[in-house]
Amino acid sequence: MKILAVLYKGGEAATQEPRLLGTVENQLGIRQWVESLGHEYIVTDDKEGSDSVFQKHIADAEVLITTPFHPAYLTKEIIEKAKNLRLCITAGVGSDHVDLNAAVDKRIQVLEVSGSNVVSVAEHVIMSILLLVRNFVPAHEMIERGDWQVSDIARNAFDLEGKVVGTIGAGRIGYRVLQRLVPFNTKELLYYDYAPLPEEAAKAVGARRVDDLKDFVSQCDVVTVNCPLHEGTRGLVNADLLKHFKKGAWLVNTARGAICDKDAVAEALKSGQLSGYAGDVWNVQPAPRDHVWRTMKNPLGGGNGMVPHYSGTTLDAQARYAAGTKSILENYLENRPQEPQNIIIGQSGYETKAYGQRK
Amino acid sequence: MSVLIASTALKRNLTSSAKSLRMLDARTIAPTVSHNSAAGLKVLAVLYKGGEAAKQEPRLLSTVENQLGIREWLESQGHEYIVTDDKEGPDSVFQTQLKDTDILITTPFHPGYLTRELIEKSPNLKLCVTAGVGSDHVDLDAAVERDIQVLEVTGSNVTSVAEQVLMSILLLVRNFVPAHEMAERGEWQVSDIARNAFDLEGKVVGTLGAGRIGRLVLERLRPFNPKEILYYDYNALPEDIAKKLGARRVEDIKDFVSQCDVITINAPLHEGTRGLVNADLLKHFRKGAWIVNTARGAICNAEDVAAALRSGQLNGYAGDVWNVQPAPKDHPWRYMRNNLGGGNGMTPHYSGTTLDAQARYAAGTKQILENYFKGKAQEPANIIVGLGKYETQSYGQR
Repeated sequence: MKILAVLYKGGEAATQEPRLLGTVENQLGIRQWVESLGHEYIVTDDKEGSDSVFQKHIADAEVLITTPFHPAYLTKEIIEKAKNLRLCITAGVGSDHVDLNAAVDKRIQVLEVSGSNVVSVAEHVIMSILLLVRNFVPAHEMIERGDWQVSDIARNAFDLEGKVVGTIGAGRIGYRVLQRLVPFNTKELLYYDYAPLPEEAAKAVGARRVDDLKDFVSQCDVVTVNCPLHEGTRGLVNADLLKHFKKGAWLVNTARGAICDKDAVAEALKSGQLSGYAGDVWNVQPAPRDHVWRTMKNPLGGGNGMVPHYSGTTLDAQARYAAGTKSILENYLENRPQEPQNIIIGQSGYETKAYGQRK
Repeated sequence: MSVLIASTALKRNLTSSAKSLRMLDARTIAPTVSHNSAAGLKVLAVLYKGGEAAKQEPRLLSTVENQLGIREWLESQGHEYIVTDDKEGPDSVFQTQLKDTDILITTPFHPGYLTRELIEKSPNLKLCVTAGVGSDHVDLDAAVERDIQVLEVTGSNVTSVAEQVLMSILLLVRNFVPAHEMAERGEWQVSDIARNAFDLEGKVVGTLGAGRIGRLVLERLRPFNPKEILYYDYNALPEDIAKKLGARRVEDIKDFVSQCDVITINAPLHEGTRGLVNADLLKHFRKGAWIVNTARGAICNAEDVAAALRSGQLNGYAGDVWNVQPAPKDHPWRYMRNNLGGGNGMTPHYSGTTLDAQARYAAGTKQILENYFKGKAQEPANIIVGLGKYETQSYGQR
C-alpha cells in the first residue's frame, strides 16, 4: 500500500543532526521498516496547490502522515479525491488540519500521537508566560544594541508571583501547565473548560473553574490557551472577548493560531489592552512573510513573544512522535487495537471528547 | 556650621558607647544610635536614572527621579537626602558626597562601588543599605574593620530572581531567541530551530548555591520533572528540605559540573566565588551544557565563557549580571553566540527590580532606616555586616 507523509524540510540541518527525525530528509526514521514490509513510502514537504506532491499522491494513498508544524490541510474537497484513504496519522498532537467531520463521513480514521509533546508544549507555555510578564525580549534586544537603560525595561516588568493565571482548556496540556505553575505562587489558578477537572486533580493544583468565558477572562492577568481547534473554538478570542480582558493582560497561545482573531489581537496589543502576546501557532502555517503577528508590538515597543511552530518538535519530542507514529502504523498493519487516547476519529466516528461537545 | 560639628561630635560619642553596648551573642545586634540624636544625618543614595519612564511610571521607585519614595519622610525628620546616578570617577557626585555621608544607599542594578579607598575617605559613614539583594559592590572586609554596618533587603527580590532563572533556563534549552528572531525576520524554517531545541524534562539541573534564591529555583524546577536536581554549596541543606526538593548534594565542584546539563548560579560574589567558572572548570562541563547566571557576573570569567560558547562547549549562557555595570558597549557577553548563532540570553541587570520587587525593596529600605533611626534591632536576615563583623553565613566560609 501507499503511505504518504507530509513533513517539513530539514536541509543541511537534517543532514548534520540525525535526531531531526520529523524532516523530509530523515523521514521519521521508518523508511527501511516500511519498505521491508513491501509498502510504498512517499515523503514530501510540497503541500500547497493542486499540483503539489501532496495533492497528487493523496489520490491513491491508503495512509497519510501529517505533522502540525508544516500541516497538509486535508480539506473536504481533497478527501473526496482520496479514494483509498483509510488512515490519517498526525505525527504530533492536534489534528484540526484534517476536516474531521468529512473524515467521519468517509469512515477514515484519524489518530495522533497523544502525549508525544504535551510536556514540550506545557514547558513552552511557562517559558512564554515568564518572558512576557518579565519583559524579556526588549531587555535582550537592548543588550544586543549596546544599550543599558534598566528603567526602560523595569517599567514594564513584573513578577509572575501574585498574578491570576487562567487556562482556556484543562486537558492534557492545560493541566500540565497548571502543575508547573503551582510553585510560582500565583494569586489564583483558574480554568475554563466544558469538561470539569476531576475533584482530586483540581485540588492537587488548586485550580478554580469559571463557567462564563467573559467572566473568566476578566479575572485573569495571564490567559493561556490550551484547547484544540474546532468549530467551538475557532475565532473564540476576538475583538469582543478582548474587551473583557483586564487592561494590560498577557495572552499565550500555543494551541492553534485560529483560535484567536489575528487582527483583533494585533489591535489589542497595539492599544495596550494586551500587554503581550506569545506563542508558536499561526492561523496558517508556514506563516506568510508579512503576517501581522511577526511584528506587532505594545505601546512600549515590546510584548511580542512569537516563534515559528516548533514547541512540540524539540529533538526530545521528535523521538517520541516518530516512535509513536511507527507504533500506530504497526497496530494498523497488524490489525491490533490502538491506544484509546490516540484515537480522534475511530472506526465509528469521533472517539475523542476534546474536539468539542458532541451528542 | 557649628550645628554640624556638634552633631558630628555627638555621633562620635555615641559610636563609642554603642561599641560598649555590643552584645556577645551573635544573634543580637546592638542599637547603633540612640533615639534622640538620630537627627540631621546625611543620607546619600546612588540609584539608576529613570528619565521619561520614571515620570510616566511612578512605580519605578528605585530611580533617581522617584528616590525610593522616601524624600518627604527623610526630610520631615531633619535628614539630608542626596540622590544621584553619577557614580564613576573621583569627580562624581557619589564620590564627592561620601566625605560627610552618614548613610549610603546603593542598589545592585547601578552599583556605587564602595571600595576600600572610598571607605577611607568616608569618615562619617556608619551604615550601608543595599536596596535589593547582594552587597558585593561594598568592600565588606573594609566595612568590618571600620564598624560600618552593611544591610540588604533580604527577600525583597528572591522570588523575582528565581523566576528569571526558570525563564532563562527554558529559553536557552528550548532555543527561544533564534526562534523569535526568525519570526520577526519574516522567515519560517522549523528545522533550523528544532535542531537545537530540547525539553527541560529529563535533564540534570544543578544549582551552584542552595541559599534563599537557589531553593526557590529548585522548588520551581520540580514539576518540570528533571532527571535529577543537584546542588553544590559549602552549607548542606537541612535534610527535610533536601528531601522535599529532591535535591542531591555533590561535594566536588568538578564532579558537580560534569553531571549537569543545566547549571544555575545562585551564590553571592566573594573571594571564594570570584572567577569560579573559568576555562579550567568549563573543561569539566558536559559538552553542550547551558549556564544561567543571575547571581553576579564576576563569578564567571567573561572571556572564558565567551570562548566556551563559541566552541560549543557551552550551548548557551543567559543571565542579567555582568562583571561591571553598566556593561560597556563592547562587552563580549553582548555578542557571543554558539556555533549555530544562538545561545545568548543576556539582559541588563533588571531581574530583581521588576515593579513588584521595587515596591518591596523601597519599603524594606525605609524599614531598615527607621530601625536605625529608632535604635531598634534589625531583621537578622538583613544583616550582612553587623558591628565589626560578618553576620551572614552566605558570603564565604569564615
